[in-house]
Amino acid sequence: MLAIWQLPWCYNFLFAGKSVSTPFTLYSSVVGEFAMLERGEDKKMLYYDRAGNNYTEAEFDSILPMFYYRQLVTDSRFPQTICGREVTPRMIQTNNFNFRLSPSELNKPRTGLYQMLESMSGRVDLELPDDVFRLTDSGIEFVDIATNSVNVAKSESFTKMMSSKGFKFPAYRIAGNPTDRKEYDEGYVMLDAERKLYHVKMTKSRPYCRAIELPADMTPEYLYITEFPARTMLAFIIDTQGSFWVVNRPSYDVVRTGLPAINPNKESVLIMGNMFDWTVAVADRLTERYYALSAEDYSLLDTLSFQTPSRSAKGLKFLSSRDKFVKPRFE
Amino acid sequence: MIQAIFYKERIKTFWYSLLALLTSVGFAGYCMLRVWRVCELKGVEHLWIVMMQKDVIFVDMLQFVPLFIGLALAVVQFEPEMQRKSFKLTLHLPIRATKALCAMLLYGVAVLLVVFLPAIALMWGYLHTVLAPELWQHILLTTVPWYLAGIATYLLTAWVSLEPTWSRRIVDAIMSLMLIRLFFLTTTPEAYNGFLPHLTVLTAAFSLLSMLSLTRFRDGRQD
Repeated sequence: MLAIWQLPWCYNFLFAGKSVSTPFTLYSSVVGEFAMLERGEDKKMLYYDRAGNNYTEAEFDSILPMFYYRQLVTDSRFPQTICGREVTPRMIQTNNFNFRLSPSELNKPRTGLYQMLESMSGRVDLELPDDVFRLTDSGIEFVDIATNSVNVAKSESFTKMMSSKGFKFPAYRIAGNPTDRKEYDEGYVMLDAERKLYHVKMTKSRPYCRAIELPADMTPEYLYITEFPARTMLAFIIDTQGSFWVVNRPSYDVVRTGLPAINPNKESVLIMGNMFDWTVAVADRLTERYYALSAEDYSLLDTLSFQTPSRSAKGLKFLSSRDKFVKPRFE
Repeated sequence: MIQAIFYKERIKTFWYSLLALLTSVGFAGYCMLRVWRVCELKGVEHLWIVMMQKDVIFVDMLQFVPLFIGLALAVVQFEPEMQRKSFKLTLHLPIRATKALCAMLLYGVAVLLVVFLPAIALMWGYLHTVLAPELWQHILLTTVPWYLAGIATYLLTAWVSLEPTWSRRIVDAIMSLMLIRLFFLTTTPEAYNGFLPHLTVLTAAFSLLSMLSLTRFRDGRQD
């Protein structure tokens, strides 16, 4: 056992350290093509697109104005219109977002305690609450931190409200972003025991719960709250088939994106979005795939793939980049 | 006869056991003092938030304490007999050699439990008053592999100590180091939860390794 564990580890430690690097890639709506930059063999930066066009650094800024808008503003080269739409740096800043998913963040030990922020405090800055909550088989339970005891009144108020909206306990999945370092708070999206989707938050110290209607053929599996500055989306959903869905805000429409199936347990996902397009990078151990989506209707615009062959030796391992648990596995 | 062996082991390890108990409880107490200080200075809310958002568990300094306690106990218990070559006297007692060795190992494991359990009890005693069950369980479950590592290190050190030849001792020591690494693969709290039953069985299985050394000792293997 020691040999099949330690020998591949020694080999990987000594010989398989550096993985194959891929160029930094973004979809450009200006040229309608994936644009890439990487360091060449002579250490000089290379700027090019998939069609084979080479660019100077300044030209590269111009074909990716949504990414390099600050540079364009500094150089007084910021255009008045992009792709026929009038734009301002403020609009770009508001609509840009980054979203990252990694298998190890999905599969890690959790305490099962969450914080419900006040979503409508009337103040600019968010404040962390002085209680936490847990989801039990029969409801939601708020625990006062100072006294380490259950706040019965608040727990009953939330449980009653959620039950009245049809929420069946215990919850199957919960997703939120309980931090005060964000512009606004949308609370949590939750799947109940029947995998129906709900939006739960606290407004003016009162519970807010809304059932979100899902398409008939869709069974949600993973949830992610977005809370991007543009406030046009509430959450992302990955269903049991791996399809990627967007919950729009404030309409609560659930829209399927053009992305092919994703397995968040094995693949990392990075979305760099702007008001025209999203560049979605999906990576596993052997490939790095790029998808360009329209920001308007989430349809697939283009795809690109890089091979990233692994040089690591297989063997018995107890840790994995796909989770944060210690367990024996052969990979 | 078993009681006589226990008595012999007690004479060898009494003062060390006392020191180990003080060390174990002392470190655990110091960690609790740090938690108490955080509560006093920044409020208990800060403690909960740091634990929930940053996965801080406040007892990291305990990580290698059980390991060193287990290592030192095995050295204190077995090395004097091996160095003075008096271990063979134990094997001449009117009791099966394997049974005698089992009694010695059992004594050692019992001492370690007596040393470790008060430390765990002390932590639970304080933490459960200021933290929700999810949070104090988060801390205590994280420490379980460390305490198991203490017992495993004791059993593996016993295996190495009882080995009669130095060349084989070095090989056994290297293998022991690799096996002990298994208990410290990650610092992620509760990462070992699902693996704890396997780790417990593996730790128990380490006691069989000493039997190999015993067999070689009885066969008269020498450098």
